[in-house]
Amino acid sequence: MTWWHALIEAGAVPAAYAPPPSVGASARDEAVGNAPADLVEDAELETHAVASPLAGVIPRAVSFLNGIERWSIVAYDGVVQIVNAYVAAAVCRRDDRGVLHATFERSRAFAVAPIDRVSPTLRPLLEQMAPDIEPVDGELAGQPARYLEQVESTVRRARAHLERELAETATASLGAEEWLVLDGLLSRWPAVTRHPRALGVIKSHGAQFLEGRGLERALTLPAGYRTSVFAVRGGHTRTEVYSWYLRLWPWEGNDLLYGLLRVEARADRETVTRASAVSSWLWAERAPLATPATRWDRLLYPLHHVEEYLKARAPRSPAVRSRLPVA
Amino acid sequence: MIDKAIPIAIGRVVATELKPATPHQFHFWTPTDTTIGIGAIVRVGGLGTGDEGRVVYGVVTEGFAYSDLATPLHDVVGAEGDPTRAAEAPTARQQIRYWTAAVLRQTPEEPLQPVPLGQVYLADDADVAQALRMDGFLYSATPTAIPVGLYTSAGRDSPVYLDADFLLGPEAAHLNISGVSGLATKTSAVEFLLASIFAHFPAHKGRVAAVCFNVKGPDLCFLDQPGDLSDEDRRRYERLGVPSTPFERVQLYAPLKADGVNLNTLRTHPDLVDDVEPLTWGLQEVVDYAEVLLNRDDIDAKADAFIDFLRDRVLSRTFDDGFGTTHRVQTFADLDRLFRSIFDGLEITAGGRSDTWRTHHIATMRKVRNRLLNISTRCKGLVTDDGPSSDLPWNEFKDRTVYVIDIANVDPLGQDLVFARVVSKLREQLERRELGVDAVVVFVDELNKYAPGDGPDTYVKKMLLDISERGRYLGLVLFGAEQFRSQVHRRVVGNAGTQLFGRMDMDELATPGYQVLTPATKSKLATLPIGELMVRHPHFTQPIFVRFPKPPVLRGRDGVERFPPAADVPFEDAVVRQLVRLDRRVRPNQVKDLIADREQDDVRRALAAARRTRPDDVLAYFRKVLGARVDSDGSRAREHQAVPPLNPISGEPY
Repeated sequence: MTWWHALIEAGAVPAAYAPPPSVGASARDEAVGNAPADLVEDAELETHAVASPLAGVIPRAVSFLNGIERWSIVAYDGVVQIVNAYVAAAVCRRDDRGVLHATFERSRAFAVAPIDRVSPTLRPLLEQMAPDIEPVDGELAGQPARYLEQVESTVRRARAHLERELAETATASLGAEEWLVLDGLLSRWPAVTRHPRALGVIKSHGAQFLEGRGLERALTLPAGYRTSVFAVRGGHTRTEVYSWYLRLWPWEGNDLLYGLLRVEARADRETVTRASAVSSWLWAERAPLATPATRWDRLLYPLHHVEEYLKARAPRSPAVRSRLPVA
Repeated sequence: MIDKAIPIAIGRVVATELKPATPHQFHFWTPTDTTIGIGAIVRVGGLGTGDEGRVVYGVVTEGFAYSDLATPLHDVVGAEGDPTRAAEAPTARQQIRYWTAAVLRQTPEEPLQPVPLGQVYLADDADVAQALRMDGFLYSATPTAIPVGLYTSAGRDSPVYLDADFLLGPEAAHLNISGVSGLATKTSAVEFLLASIFAHFPAHKGRVAAVCFNVKGPDLCFLDQPGDLSDEDRRRYERLGVPSTPFERVQLYAPLKADGVNLNTLRTHPDLVDDVEPLTWGLQEVVDYAEVLLNRDDIDAKADAFIDFLRDRVLSRTFDDGFGTTHRVQTFADLDRLFRSIFDGLEITAGGRSDTWRTHHIATMRKVRNRLLNISTRCKGLVTDDGPSSDLPWNEFKDRTVYVIDIANVDPLGQDLVFARVVSKLREQLERRELGVDAVVVFVDELNKYAPGDGPDTYVKKMLLDISERGRYLGLVLFGAEQFRSQVHRRVVGNAGTQLFGRMDMDELATPGYQVLTPATKSKLATLPIGELMVRHPHFTQPIFVRFPKPPVLRGRDGVERFPPAADVPFEDAVVRQLVRLDRRVRPNQVKDLIADREQDDVRRALAAARRTRPDDVLAYFRKVLGARVDSDGSRAREHQAVPPLNPISGEPY
């Protein structure tokens, strides 16, 4: 019996609300707004053609890190929504044949509930039955919509925490020539940011680092081009990283962000030196396509693979099960 | 010897709503790099099989591979339309090897349930025995296991056994083997299987022999000569417990050529020809199977009645033809004299006013005469106009002996006659338990020809049907081979308890008889290498692929190269050779002096008598028979040679 079934048996009302599953880094992971960037390459933001990948450009050993999160309301205690959440992250290493193998993996299944607002009948049961509880502030418990935003933020933090732990573990064990590619901001994790062969690949562009002519050049970047490298400060720690835009697929006929990636790497001159080679490598990662993911134009296949791996290993959604008739 | 290895899971059963596991079929996946393929035997067990520890054995019947590619167009887009770039992608798409397996056996067998979603293991020797239900006859107090080959899928090397009770009777019997010609599969498989039967036929089932009809070239002429075996073949023989040596006891029979002294076979090399026994039959042997000689239009009650009359009232009896002549009909020449006497009697004595004799119409008699005398012309050498026969040892068949009857160069009518008579005699002797063995395997190649699915009901076809349907009770077992199973009479192939398939033609595989096979199994059958067979046996619920070693005997083609057939020798030398074979003391010059200026028919008769009698002093006996015959009945001997060919009376409408 699961902990929420125990709650339901004790009087909680069964629930079956699950938000759309979130996988990979989302726009909400990133800072939103304008954060001015300092160019560290070229006098003004330029576009550079990305050469076709030559032999040796693609590192022989690369690991890819991604994570997923799932949550659903499984019971109501009055209007208090009790949530079951699951977060997981994994690192898959690509071997010489191009096959990905999971090397690190962590997951966490936990309850999200405003402990102080749970009824005295159910609270001890929740604390006893749920192996892992992430408490949230009970002030918003009476406002379901805002409460859910709080839950989502809590779950996302839990996932980010898991990813950070895994990223630090992975970078610590990278081989001499091995790279780590993360889905999302590299600047979230200062320890990882300092690694010379760690890259963050950002698919969402909530934050604008450029303006004017530079912004226009970045957003109308032709396929197979990158921008000049610029320095940004991202994440809650405001860690400085070097970054550039790279267009994987032509935006014409689609939208300005179609096929547009932003790459983050260590704030170091070597990053500027390597920017073209790294871009050439990432350009080669366009194939195979990460279909059927909807954002396949920006999602690298190996990161998509890690997502699929994690989804396959995740427990069944309790929401689905709870829709079945109760005997 | 059964190997028991530590099992390592190689896959896992998966089931979806669209492709669920059932009691008879399941699906599983394996790593991309796997040793299993179509025909592999697997075991489902371990985690996921429930508290009762249900174990399921299955054979892989279909395989699939696919990736997470949603549509082929995405691959085109990813490679930007350039196929050469498709392979340059740094990451390999996630892909799957997905297999379908047919259930061979479940333990416990009741209640029969869907296959559990457990782990999949490669079958080891013990598993193969369990899966194919061989444990019942392999480990019993009176084992009846006959090795048929090695199961070699997935790197395994497990012996596969047939149950002698179901291969040679009495539970089921008969074996049918199909396959395209020229791949040394059908004949080789039967040769190996005979060797296996001889090595493993259970003692409690008695004695066994084989009769093989060699109907093409030198196929079965060198079963007593060792062939070239590779080390791998020898290892397989050792694994199967079958000696890798040629048959110890082989007796080859071949008719004589038209000259009556040279053998009509390709085994005439001087080193080997002494082992060949002549096969010659006289009137008595032929007339019992006169129905074989009659075509469909001939078969009527009148002809049958007249043949019965000859058989019952005339042959080997003193008989008065009613026109003043007494006959004792023992040879074709005697029979022809009787017919001529009757016809003359009707013409002369009766003045042509009567056209019946002893209630038989003259036309019926002429027809029967033509058919009977025709055989002595068309099959001269096999059927003697005059003289005694040389036949198989019907009361003295030896245990573990192969009797090869070489009729490759005999007229088709003669082949039918040989086949009909040999099989009939085998049946008669087995019914009386007087054959000398308890079971006989009769190997007939080219069943397409002898028991076709369509066409007229010939005597031979009826005989094959009779063996197929009733032979197992007697111990008369048919091993039939053909290129196109679909063209053989369905009751002949349907009654074969064991069926072997070599490489098959795709057109043949498209016929309804193969609808039970999956496309993958058909594809495998169409590309089977030499030495591999698909086996169906009553204990096996699904077809199984096995490998068998090359037969330990000299292949016909190789035999002819190693032992080139000798040219026909002159009459005198042939007589000398046969007499010397009977008695090494015989001097050629003595024989040549003896037969000089003698009629050849007289010499043949004397030779046949010596062959049949096998006296201590062959030359003396030969001299006596030859002399007595010529001296006492010389005029008759000359008359014998005057048996007229049929052409002069071929104008008759019969």
